[in-house]
Amino acid sequence: MASLSEMYDVGWEEMRDKLRKWREDNCRNSEQIVDVGEELISEHASKLGDDIWIIYEQVMIAALDCSRDDLALVSFRHTSSHAQKASQTCLQELRKQFPDSHRVKRLTGMRLEALERYDEANKHYDAILQEDPTNTAARKRKISILRAQGKSTEAIRELNEYLEQFVGDQEAWHELSELYINEHDYGKAAFCLEELMMTNPHNHLYCEQYAEVKYTQGGMENLELARKYFAQALRLNNRNMRALFGLYMSASHIAASPKVSAKLKKDNIKYAAWAAAQINRAYKLAGRGNKENKCSIKAVEEMLESMQITMS
Amino acid sequence: MPIQLTSQAYCKMLLHTAKYPHCAVNGLLVAEKTKEKKKDGHSGPVLCVDCVPLFHGTLALAPMLEVALTLIDTWCKENNYIIVGYYQANEQTKDSRPNQVAQKVAARILENFSEAAIVMVDSSRLTMSCFEPIVFIHDHHENKWKVREVTTDAFEDWSEAQKITSALLVGRSYESLIDFDNHLDDLRNDWTNPTINKSVLDLC
Repeated sequence: MASLSEMYDVGWEEMRDKLRKWREDNCRNSEQIVDVGEELISEHASKLGDDIWIIYEQVMIAALDCSRDDLALVSFRHTSSHAQKASQTCLQELRKQFPDSHRVKRLTGMRLEALERYDEANKHYDAILQEDPTNTAARKRKISILRAQGKSTEAIRELNEYLEQFVGDQEAWHELSELYINEHDYGKAAFCLEELMMTNPHNHLYCEQYAEVKYTQGGMENLELARKYFAQALRLNNRNMRALFGLYMSASHIAASPKVSAKLKKDNIKYAAWAAAQINRAYKLAGRGNKENKCSIKAVEEMLESMQITMS
Repeated sequence: MPIQLTSQAYCKMLLHTAKYPHCAVNGLLVAEKTKEKKKDGHSGPVLCVDCVPLFHGTLALAPMLEVALTLIDTWCKENNYIIVGYYQANEQTKDSRPNQVAQKVAARILENFSEAAIVMVDSSRLTMSCFEPIVFIHDHHENKWKVREVTTDAFEDWSEAQKITSALLVGRSYESLIDFDNHLDDLRNDWTNPTINKSVLDLC
């Protein structure tokens, strides 16, 4: 089988840079990471210098991801035994180099999680926490185990306790908002997103997600809030399509409601009309030179038209 | 009459599930609109010719779902399709019951099609060889969703569906599958998946 570098005509530096980009962006494209990482490690280890350790870690986690589900052993057959070997090799190398490292111990725990040996994994993390009670990584892994086991209530409780201590942990706030959304507890999800918006006022994604939660909660007040935050998200990033659609939907619903004042109705019709024009424009831009996308453009136009009727 | 799945519909559902193994995924099933009902009142099984993958990750938020339903409804009218079902794979691979989201969307579909079904994908049994069907089909009876036993009758042609799905999984076609979330990230991404549809056709 041809190597990746042969197939795609890339050098080892490009592969290394790709891996770094995926690390920085926290991408979960595990199969690709294993493919690229494995080749890089087996063919070019000597050229990587100290980068190799972080690459071992990255590849190991990706390898666990590939063989984690039960689809593992039977399904991704060649990838999984491949991937399992890869994860074992990476772990062995890391253990040799960093024998007492908690960071490496966390990886051992993750491997146990991947094999669904949750009790052992928990014991492992507890041991780390005994030596170092401030080790946030181990605590978060324990919470992930709860989520993996479907124990949402416990995961939520533990995450809340964690956040009382580590109130600045954005990843944790976001995870908590997701858990609440999955439990349909939109009020608490909104609270988490409010925390995130406060500490990241320029992040359009948090604004937009907050708006979506408010919209889902329903009721005129929430709908208006949703509209405001969709608009805010757009101010921060005028290409956020979700925010644009959200603005359109919330303004349309407000305008169509029999309970609003004439002024509110008029204002929201304006907002909706503006959003509709922007949506049409965005689709036209995207569809340029692409025959097949014409159907999307038409569908959007018709959708916007049909909603206009309900508003008036 | 209960729904039946074509190879294209089945394989795209599984590709969507395989693309995001760590997330919940969902989508809609569509069938061709038939004009007349047969005289004796019994129509044949409803054939789901295609599916539209919707979201992955957080499924429980309303606004984008509304947009998707409205847009896809319009698209259906253009192509003489009708939305006849909803599919979902849960984040928890061990749990294949239709949750609140599934029931809510399905209720909406029921308003326009009285024999709508919920198809739950059992991702714990997802394999490359696809040697058995891994879906649970739920029909609406007496205000409840009841699961029906899935045999190869639930497919227009099971051996073809199996062959095609397996080939596309092995070939990692799921990497190029586009769902509505991907479309919202970049409007150029086409949620009708013409390339994958072509691959399916080529393998038939």
